[in-house]
Amino acid sequence: MKKEIIKFILNGEQVEVYVDPAKSLLHLLRNDFGLTGSKEGCGQGECGACTVLLDDLAVNSCLIPAGKVSGCSVVTIEALSRDGKPDFVQESFVEKGAVQCGFCSPGMIMSAHALLKQNPRPDAMEVRTAISGNLCRCTGYKQIEEAILLSAEKLNK
Amino acid sequence: MPIITENITREKKTETDFQSPEVWTKVTGKAVYGNDFKLPGMLYGKILRSPHPHARIKKINLGSVEAMPGVYASLTGAELPERPYGIVFDDELPLAAELVRYIGDEVAAVAAVDNETASKAVEAINVDYEMLPAVFSPREALKPDAPQLHEKFKDNLAWERNLLRGDSDKAFREADVIVENTFTIPSVHSTYLEPTVCVAADDPYNGLIIHTAVQSPDAVRVIIAKALELPLSKVRIVGPVMGGGFGGRVYGNLKLYMIASLLAIKTGRPVKMQLTREEEFLVGRPMIAAEMHLKMGFKNDGTILAREADIVTDNGAYSAQAPWVSKTLSERNDSVYHIPNIKTRVRLAYTNKVPTGQYRAYGNQAANFATESLLDMGAVKLGIDPLKLRLKNCVKTGDTTVHGLKIKSCALAECLKAAAEEIGWYDRKKGYGYGISAAIHASGSLVFDKNFRGAAALARLELDGRISIFSGEQDYGQGAHATFTLIASRVLGISPEMITVYSRDTLSSPHSIGALGNRQTTIGGKAVQMAAKRLRELIVLTAADMLEDPVVMEKGTLRSASDRIVELPLVAYHYHSLTCGLSLIGEGRYVPEPSEYDETGYGNIAVTYSFAAHGAVVEVDKTTGAITVHKIVAAHDSGKIINQISAIGQVFGGTTQGLGMSCYEGYLFNKGEVANASLADYRIPTSLDVPDITPIFIENEDPEGPYGAKGLGEIVQIPVLGAVANAVADAAGVRVTDLPITAEKVYQALSGWECE
Repeated sequence: MKKEIIKFILNGEQVEVYVDPAKSLLHLLRNDFGLTGSKEGCGQGECGACTVLLDDLAVNSCLIPAGKVSGCSVVTIEALSRDGKPDFVQESFVEKGAVQCGFCSPGMIMSAHALLKQNPRPDAMEVRTAISGNLCRCTGYKQIEEAILLSAEKLNK
Repeated sequence: MPIITENITREKKTETDFQSPEVWTKVTGKAVYGNDFKLPGMLYGKILRSPHPHARIKKINLGSVEAMPGVYASLTGAELPERPYGIVFDDELPLAAELVRYIGDEVAAVAAVDNETASKAVEAINVDYEMLPAVFSPREALKPDAPQLHEKFKDNLAWERNLLRGDSDKAFREADVIVENTFTIPSVHSTYLEPTVCVAADDPYNGLIIHTAVQSPDAVRVIIAKALELPLSKVRIVGPVMGGGFGGRVYGNLKLYMIASLLAIKTGRPVKMQLTREEEFLVGRPMIAAEMHLKMGFKNDGTILAREADIVTDNGAYSAQAPWVSKTLSERNDSVYHIPNIKTRVRLAYTNKVPTGQYRAYGNQAANFATESLLDMGAVKLGIDPLKLRLKNCVKTGDTTVHGLKIKSCALAECLKAAAEEIGWYDRKKGYGYGISAAIHASGSLVFDKNFRGAAALARLELDGRISIFSGEQDYGQGAHATFTLIASRVLGISPEMITVYSRDTLSSPHSIGALGNRQTTIGGKAVQMAAKRLRELIVLTAADMLEDPVVMEKGTLRSASDRIVELPLVAYHYHSLTCGLSLIGEGRYVPEPSEYDETGYGNIAVTYSFAAHGAVVEVDKTTGAITVHKIVAAHDSGKIINQISAIGQVFGGTTQGLGMSCYEGYLFNKGEVANASLADYRIPTSLDVPDITPIFIENEDPEGPYGAKGLGEIVQIPVLGAVANAVADAAGVRVTDLPITAEKVYQALSGWECE
């Protein structure tokens, strides 16, 4: 286990960490930075609960080796609320009742942000496709879909 | 008056839309789930599992495992007293003593400084096994020459029930039309998204504290105290936020809790243990698999005369709740319709496979697939419209069913009509398949403990005028806290924002049976209603004492006859000072009437019953067998809806789970080894698989439930299976009787082609 210094931008701030580059980004975020908002549902890239933004793209952080984020920008769920106030996607999730157990919510919300960055006016099918890598066992996805469509409406107001 | 909610986008929130403020912690990533929780000096535990389906442990060679850097302790069954524990039968040990009975059985454990070190240490343990013959099919297991799993259970028969009502032999002789078939249902996993995790800590002052999110913390605490011989008052469960349960975590993972506790006691340090997703599939207690041979007899006019059933359920290696689930699976469905004559044999068999438990609707959803499929086969043979056949036979308010269930409120016929109307039953389009299905489910089951049927709750007035509710009933995403808040808010006439529900610490909450048997709203909610009522009385009495005048309470304000006003904080302070520190606490209890069922199980088994009918519209590609589910309409009689936003969420989510069971999910085994132990191979519905789902609530007031409400959380999953199966059969012209209904199976049925 050879450690390296890795420099990247985490939630808008330049950070530097001395770590095994093979460690997953998810474990780096959770264990080294204490950012436990990203969840581990499978550790194999199948559930999407660990979704973060890597240079604005939604990725399963459990599949990204820490060494690969060198020089990149990583955004996690913790960065969304400003001054303790949830952002418009988070608010939409609550408004639409899109949250039950909540374990998938951070990953879903990050996938929603990635979608809205690329496509600020998605239709229902585009929303469903964007979150098709994020599993939810509680909600049946309907209220999540509605929440993301509502987020898009707010964005375009 | 029915609420039909086609699109949940509503302009205005209704007064029944409320979510616990905890939701904000969930969307911001601040909610602390089990794996986010840490204690100082915490170690990490890993388990060595059996690679063999059935073997004798000859020797466990720990070698120098304990001397490995970073390893603090190891543990094997040999160190522990052989004290079996269980839920229905005591057939399990925390760690195997002599025998392993399935691939995944717990053999040894290690606690180390981190997960990687613990995994390496576990891999370094060498076990010498003597292979034993294994049995994987429950029917084979019941044969006298089959390999035996448990000495106490001859011929691997874990549990058996023979049930007779009326005279089914005579009824079948008199029947004009008889249909029969065999239906098979594989094991299915609840697949909560959060893998099970716990942190166990032990010290001489606190005793054992297990930090884990589980549906029935009090029941877990009792089982663990007994199994580990610890004083009950020194075993406490404190729950982080729970990432889903769906019945699969009624008892969480008892072995994980016990091994973590034993390692914590042995090392004197807190120990965290988390199952990997693969381990979840191996040891996470999926619902029993079942093979159901059913036969139904009808009169020419469609009157159902009798049902016979020969059912074998697959227990896997250990039992958990499998006998209870087998019981529900084998009989609850009989009460959807008037079936005067019943003959049922159900046998639960041990096999060398994953031990089972339960999932959401407790087997009733599996039985719905079989019974409702057979009913449609009967309709075809009778030449009667399937909807008319159901309407002719379904139960109604005031009925006592064949098993003695007392139906106090029932809008099943209305549910059937509403679901049929909404899927376009009366105007069926060519090229599509239409299916309909009906269900009953216990709302507030009374059978888990005859002497402890109800629930208790506390409502405390805080010094700032807020209200704290303490309940032992758990919220794991289904919205119990919000429901309780709304109930207390209605009783007290104050805003829900002024109320907080606490349920996750066994030290402060009243003992509860837990989140099973659809108890939360009907029983737990009623206890909260009672506690809030009592608190209201105490507040009024105290205020009257303060103002020396009779008072009335309105919108959280107390007003005397002479128009003097006092607010809640002052009432709280007054009592606080008067008693030198006590608070006003309303103790509430709900003790339902005893359920008097006889030795045959005849009698009322729940506070009340929920009803539902689902309709499905599908399309089948007859060249490939591919199924497209277009629409599911879910019509529910769950009494008065307390929290609309969460009720709708329950319907969407539960229906989607039912669809998963219908078309996607099921354990695959290869000589006892789970062949699909990952989320890639065990496929649950994704956002692209979900059809248009329309929830309909027929809001009949129930005389028992709080504010007329009945349970909803479990029944939402049930009628989906029959509706989808019937719609596929209608579209394809052939019937698949083996879940899940996949394109391959439809193709095989259409072409007569069979794969190897």
